[in-house]
Amino acid sequence: MSMLVEMVGINKSFGATRVLSDVRFSLERGSVHALMGENGAGKSTLMRILAGVYQPTTGSVRLRGEDVSFKSPKEARLAGVSTVFQEFTLIPNLTVAENMFLGHEPRRKDGSIDSAEVVRRSRELLADVFPQLDATAIVDTLTVAQQQAVEIAKGLTSNADIFIFDEPTAALNSTDVAHLFKVIRDLKAQGKAVVYISHRMNEVFELCDVITVMKDGGWVKTAKAEDFNLHSLVATMVGRELQNFFPPRSQETGEPMLEVSGLKLHDGGASVAFSVRKGEIIGLAGLEGQGQREIMRSVVGVETARAVTVRRRAGGSAMSAVNVTSGFPNAIAAGIGFIPEDRKQEGLFLRLPIYDNIALGKQLNRNMASVAWRSVSKVREIIKSLRVAAADPGAPVGKLSGGNQQKVLLGRWLLSGVDILVIEEPTRGVDVGAKAEIYRLLRDFSDRGGAVIVSSREHAELIGLCDNILVVHDRKIVGQMPAADATEESILGTALGSSSAEDPRAVVH
Amino acid sequence: MNIVTNFLKVPYRAGAIVLSIGTLLVILIAAVITLPGFLAPENLSNLLAQSTVLVISALGQTFVILTGGLDVSVGSIISVTTTIMTLDLPEVVRVFLCIAVAVAFGLANGYGVARLNVHPIIMTLATMGIGQGLALIILPIPGGRVPDWLSASVAGSVGPVPNSLFWLIAASLAAAWLLYRRPFGLYLFASGGNDFNARMNGVPVERTVIKAYVLSALFACAAGMFLAGRLASGDPKGGATFGIESVTAAALGGVHLAGGIGSILGTVVGAAILGIVNNVMNLANVSAFLQSVVKGLLLLALVVSQRRKTIGL
Repeated sequence: MSMLVEMVGINKSFGATRVLSDVRFSLERGSVHALMGENGAGKSTLMRILAGVYQPTTGSVRLRGEDVSFKSPKEARLAGVSTVFQEFTLIPNLTVAENMFLGHEPRRKDGSIDSAEVVRRSRELLADVFPQLDATAIVDTLTVAQQQAVEIAKGLTSNADIFIFDEPTAALNSTDVAHLFKVIRDLKAQGKAVVYISHRMNEVFELCDVITVMKDGGWVKTAKAEDFNLHSLVATMVGRELQNFFPPRSQETGEPMLEVSGLKLHDGGASVAFSVRKGEIIGLAGLEGQGQREIMRSVVGVETARAVTVRRRAGGSAMSAVNVTSGFPNAIAAGIGFIPEDRKQEGLFLRLPIYDNIALGKQLNRNMASVAWRSVSKVREIIKSLRVAAADPGAPVGKLSGGNQQKVLLGRWLLSGVDILVIEEPTRGVDVGAKAEIYRLLRDFSDRGGAVIVSSREHAELIGLCDNILVVHDRKIVGQMPAADATEESILGTALGSSSAEDPRAVVH
Repeated sequence: MNIVTNFLKVPYRAGAIVLSIGTLLVILIAAVITLPGFLAPENLSNLLAQSTVLVISALGQTFVILTGGLDVSVGSIISVTTTIMTLDLPEVVRVFLCIAVAVAFGLANGYGVARLNVHPIIMTLATMGIGQGLALIILPIPGGRVPDWLSASVAGSVGPVPNSLFWLIAASLAAAWLLYRRPFGLYLFASGGNDFNARMNGVPVERTVIKAYVLSALFACAAGMFLAGRLASGDPKGGATFGIESVTAAALGGVHLAGGIGSILGTVVGAAILGIVNNVMNLANVSAFLQSVVKGLLLLALVVSQRRKTIGL
């Protein structure tokens, strides 16, 4: 079989920083090729070169046997390379159809855009792959999964034969993932080539034929998927064996630290109640969008529920109420920290230095008129204890990798001295090595007498990390199980068993 | 079915246009009931003539606001145009000179914003100063004569229909054609919605932004022509208020200053609201100072009651 894409001797530098050195990569028709490596290994940069976003400093890219050099993503797309970027490239105020044909709209004779033709052809293309997607819907009103479908559909408009998926499942729930896999298998069956970048090992083994591993901007190994197993793949990626991916669970848990009761997300809804004990990590699991996010956010007062009572241990064994309905500052004052899923937008100040991002933890408890807290040595201590991979507290947080950014957020709350932590998607966009570290840091936090509430789309993560799992469905808690006994199937079964009338497939697009 | 769904979807990109139309209707009904002189033919044609400059300049402004920018130099371009029309040159040359000056201002604004990354307010503030100075150099005090055909085209009427209505309709149709019928229009919405992603999809964002500023200047030029015809003379400060009023009109019509959301109909409605409120308060002998307060409050009320939604993924 002939190679569809051959990239040889690719070097890429940004200024003085060399991010790719002598990388090779080739792609066969009718195959799914996984590109693996830790964050910063250069996977995305390599694929952006293939997609025309960057140009290689040296090296050659051959497409169907001919040398090509794409000057723009548009050129690459017209040549048949379609990319579903991790950050979507959609325009929010345009319709699905307009987005699909943007940059190469069918024209009428007078040069105007033939809108009717745009809609007609979009419908035709969507009918096969995403029949539920309305071509005239405004993209901003779609769910993440639907937006991703639009990204894929854009590739169909230019009849691409190479599809690059950069962490496509990071924001999808399991039913949407199943549909995406079906789409990818269909593409493969049509003889198209797919590049698949993901941090989720099970997906890679389920889906991919060939695996290429990169590390530190260089090529490490390319082999058939069946020649790898989970351990050898992780070892190749990090260059060492990972021991104890998840830290051991707590030996014993103390008295309740936080009690949530009478939490109603909407009028007439069921009320949610749960508690977390000292030293315990509990996880909120379930299908995406069933209310986990709203429950977490209501507990800390970032969102306002219809009704909620939050009480926390206030020294000794007395519980005292926390008035979260009047906002997050009350939760902070009561020693409850919150780490949002979207850390770039909601958690961090990307342009500010690491120092300020962490020191904020101290400022939050202080009077507005008081002098700003300042202690470089304290912050350095935190940075050191969390092993943030940047020695200089003056470096902007935006330059750090996902895992290190997450550590900075953790550092903020450690400095602030909270003993209850509410954290959404603790390892979204975090690479394998850093994941294990974050699990350990969370467990350290609980072992020192803290309590943690976690939500995650990756149920395997909750099973490994937590002590207890609460299954959320339809905005209420439908089940509770010790994490040690839980499986992904039992979580899903509990979630769906609660309302058998609901077809899980209905969630897909 | 298609028409229904399309109609339902238009408001999304057009912003709070329903709210603007509702406000316009309420003000119109209130004016008709409380002010007997409002529906008099001479008042209506006066209202139309007063509003036309505002409508035309606000239409141009809409293109710029859709990119997420702002053009405060509109007023100066109107003023300069009126003064150039009084110059002692062949009439055709005056017209071409006006257009050339407008294109030059538009290109300068667009180039500065799109290529040199100057903030739109700073960029157009600078050209506003230059334009104002230029107008005063050409014609230090109001006066001079504009070509007779220009005055006639503004003042006359075809049967009962005043000519200003034709100016207004022509400008609106031209703007609608550019925004809804040309690829430029789609690229304008795309650039304003998310300029980075638009670029990733091959949309010529810089060129689109430059075109928007050039169009804004050209519409201001047309507004200046109309004003010169209406005054039958030049006025070096005649356009000064339109830099801000054109933005107000667009905002009243539901055009988002963040870019990407807005419509031609909305801008026309917004300008109509502003024009009618001006007219009504003049008829009712409200003091100019109080008028200013009322217009400020109206703008606040309308913008605040819009459903705030930051666009962006």
